[in-house]
Amino acid sequence: MTVILFILLLFPLAGGVINAVIGRLLPRRVSEVIACLGVVGAFVMAAIAFGLGGWKSLHLIFFDWIKVGTFSAAFDVYYDPLAAVMILMVTFVSSLIHIYSVAFMREDTDYVRYFCYLNLFVFSMLVIALADSLLFVYLGWEGVGFCSYALIGFWYTNLDYALAGRKAFILTRIGDVTFGIALALFFYFFHSFSLQYINAHATTLSVTMATVFGLLLLWAAMGKSAQLPLTVWLPDAMAGPTPVSALIHAATMVTAGAYLLMRLFPVIHLSHMAMLVIAGTGAITTLYASFAALAQVDIKKVLAYSTISQVGYMILGVGAGDFVGGFFHLLSHSFFKSLLFLGAGCIIQACDEEHNIFKMGNLRRLLPHVYYPFLIGCLSLAAFPMIGGFLSKDRVLEATFIHPAPIYKAFWAIAFLAALLTVVYTFRMFFTAFLDRPDGRTADEIKPIPRLMTVILWPLAILAFCDGLLNLPFGPISNGLAKFLAAVPGARVDLGAPAAVSWGLGLGDAALVLVVLTLTYFVFRRPRPDFWGSLNETLFTAFYLDWLYLNLIARPYERFAAVLWRDVDERGINAGFENTAGGFKVLSSLMGLWTNGKLSTYLLMLLLGLTAMLTVLILSWHW
Amino acid sequence: MNIYAVIFYILGVLIVAFTVMAITRRNLMHAIVFLVGSFIATAVLFYLLGAPFLAIMEVVIYAGAIMVLFLFIVMMLEIEPEERDWWAGLRPWLWPLSLMGISLAVIFVYLIFASGSSHTLPMVMASPLAFGRFLFEKYWLGVEIASYLLFVALVGALYLGRGEETGG
Amino acid sequence: MAYVVPFSHVLVLAAILFLLGAVCALARRNLIMILIGVEVMLSAAGLVFIGAAMRWQQLDGQAFVIFIMAVAASEVAIGLALILYSRRRTGTINADRYNLMKG
Repeated sequence: MTVILFILLLFPLAGGVINAVIGRLLPRRVSEVIACLGVVGAFVMAAIAFGLGGWKSLHLIFFDWIKVGTFSAAFDVYYDPLAAVMILMVTFVSSLIHIYSVAFMREDTDYVRYFCYLNLFVFSMLVIALADSLLFVYLGWEGVGFCSYALIGFWYTNLDYALAGRKAFILTRIGDVTFGIALALFFYFFHSFSLQYINAHATTLSVTMATVFGLLLLWAAMGKSAQLPLTVWLPDAMAGPTPVSALIHAATMVTAGAYLLMRLFPVIHLSHMAMLVIAGTGAITTLYASFAALAQVDIKKVLAYSTISQVGYMILGVGAGDFVGGFFHLLSHSFFKSLLFLGAGCIIQACDEEHNIFKMGNLRRLLPHVYYPFLIGCLSLAAFPMIGGFLSKDRVLEATFIHPAPIYKAFWAIAFLAALLTVVYTFRMFFTAFLDRPDGRTADEIKPIPRLMTVILWPLAILAFCDGLLNLPFGPISNGLAKFLAAVPGARVDLGAPAAVSWGLGLGDAALVLVVLTLTYFVFRRPRPDFWGSLNETLFTAFYLDWLYLNLIARPYERFAAVLWRDVDERGINAGFENTAGGFKVLSSLMGLWTNGKLSTYLLMLLLGLTAMLTVLILSWHW
Repeated sequence: MNIYAVIFYILGVLIVAFTVMAITRRNLMHAIVFLVGSFIATAVLFYLLGAPFLAIMEVVIYAGAIMVLFLFIVMMLEIEPEERDWWAGLRPWLWPLSLMGISLAVIFVYLIFASGSSHTLPMVMASPLAFGRFLFEKYWLGVEIASYLLFVALVGALYLGRGEETGG
Repeated sequence: MAYVVPFSHVLVLAAILFLLGAVCALARRNLIMILIGVEVMLSAAGLVFIGAAMRWQQLDGQAFVIFIMAVAASEVAIGLALILYSRRRTGTINADRYNLMKG
């Protein structure tokens, strides 16, 4: 088992390193095959590990990393059902994205750098998913941050894209700060970085400390998972190549935050306060992002806001005390969101790098191979009854609804409203882009795209369609995923809601989704870019959040920095230094008279100093 | 004031006298001969202070090897004569000598007025055997490093000293 | 047990020797004489060490004299080679003629 997991981590790392070191010397095909092999190999290993012992909880040590006194940090993994399913999902989705990338990047000359980062990205995520030592997790956490920066700013010659990469890096870094603080505190309280140990001994913490940990970890998760108030980097992250967006949204980056909370669930579970804040963050982010997605015109930005919204559900699930639901949603989200992004990549290339959905249209006829998978993805995102996305979202909503604290009812209402809005924005995008209309695209405005890119969509589409089977709320295989995850501390197999509540919520949800879907069809059958009227600007800019940050934080900071620079630095410190230096210059020109280049003079000075020192020493002697 | 002390003071005077003679000679050859005398007197002093092995080393290394090396160099180079008048010859000595005077005066003042430093030395001999044992037990690493130093010096001297015609 | 002299007298003798060496290195302009001055200073340092070894009845002081001698020997070897080399380059061994260090 140790060997399998070690090789699993080694595969993408080796792929990345090989490409980084000698990728340029290899033929293009070889470099691509290495990159794909790195991830596919990891997937095979994950599957083998899953088959051999996915249901066990194992703590395996590869080797020691740092060992100082009682402090020790090892390269070790904590392989439990949660991690098993997570790495299976990550490697599977990443494999498909890698293969897709081969076709997608066929015209880009910088493929070596691309594949190298892509592999390292997957490696870092696998580290987060598996690692036991929190230091090791942190390594992966930062690795993910770095790779996302490098990939979002992949086309760095475009200034806007490079800035988007920087923005993502800085905002996730703001989140990471608290993770670092939490690490230090964990060590202070537990004298260990081991996840397993911390989870097992979490109950020794006081409620206050648990609250502090919960909030610190939440802030870290906010940065990575693009939750309010750190959302703004994710829409801009669309600057990267589309497969990268798929990777960031589905498999590697944004789920890391939610996953971390699930991994440390026993700690945050102790504090009602922390759970409440987590749930609130999730619910409000969900609604906020749904609103923002309503008015976007860029197909990738619609998807980006939908990701923020869906990750909000995962966080809400954790906050409601049912991380199984959150994890279920994480899984189905990763399938349909990677499907949607890869489909969007096909559309964008077919429409000659056109992102604006109002300039598409007629795509049902023109791109039938993309149409059907994309439809499945949209249905899943919009929680069409009985599809995976519906069941997972329903479970999160139910867990929120039956939570004893009354304020969770409000969270439920918010999240439910967001779920209905999801239908609207998803199908607004879908209808506008795909339905026939007179001003839409014509066949000669469509560029051919490789067959491979559309073929890749199908496995994802099938999974997105069927993954509800994993955790059906009824029937002989009900709650399969939840039962599988039962060994993970804090997992609830059955929510324990009365049957009436459960069925009522599910059926009501399904009915309302269908109604809203029908309404959306009638409203957005024809493209209506100005449907929201005066609200449009507010929604489009996502409630001016970027503008607010710019004016409330970035600008004052710049002004403060300018004051520091001009007044304090130049006038104060610099001038001080210059005057001091001037004084020394005069002084040294006097001293320069001594330095006549004669050795004997220098030696004489040496002796003079020696004599002086001796005299002082003896005079200061206490007689 | 026993016999050892008498020997010590005689040796001290000898050493200082030889050294003064050595450093004031115009002729380098004379200077070196006086210096050999000074070093031999120092070696006897070492013996008196309980270090017979070091006394022999002093003779072998300082009075022998080093001074012979100096002699060779002096013979190899024909030194330009330092022809100066009386005052010009004296001038460079002025500052160093006055500094030396200050230092010595300070030291003497200290010795006369300080009380705690009148610890007399017991007469003990460190046999070469014991000394060698001690050296190689406690300072074997230092000895090794010193041998490296000598080796490096050898290489350096060879490099610097090779003739121009061999491609310097 | 017989006693030789107070330790301070050894120190004074070493100080005189050391200062004589320093004066030699300072006052003479001949590079060889400067080197001789340095040798005298090193020898004086050795004298202090031996006196200290006797004062505290510890052999460490004597051990250090061995190292001093090693340093002195290598210093002389390099120093004389340098003098030869400089002489070959510039034709003089007068320290005052070497004024490349003048700032």
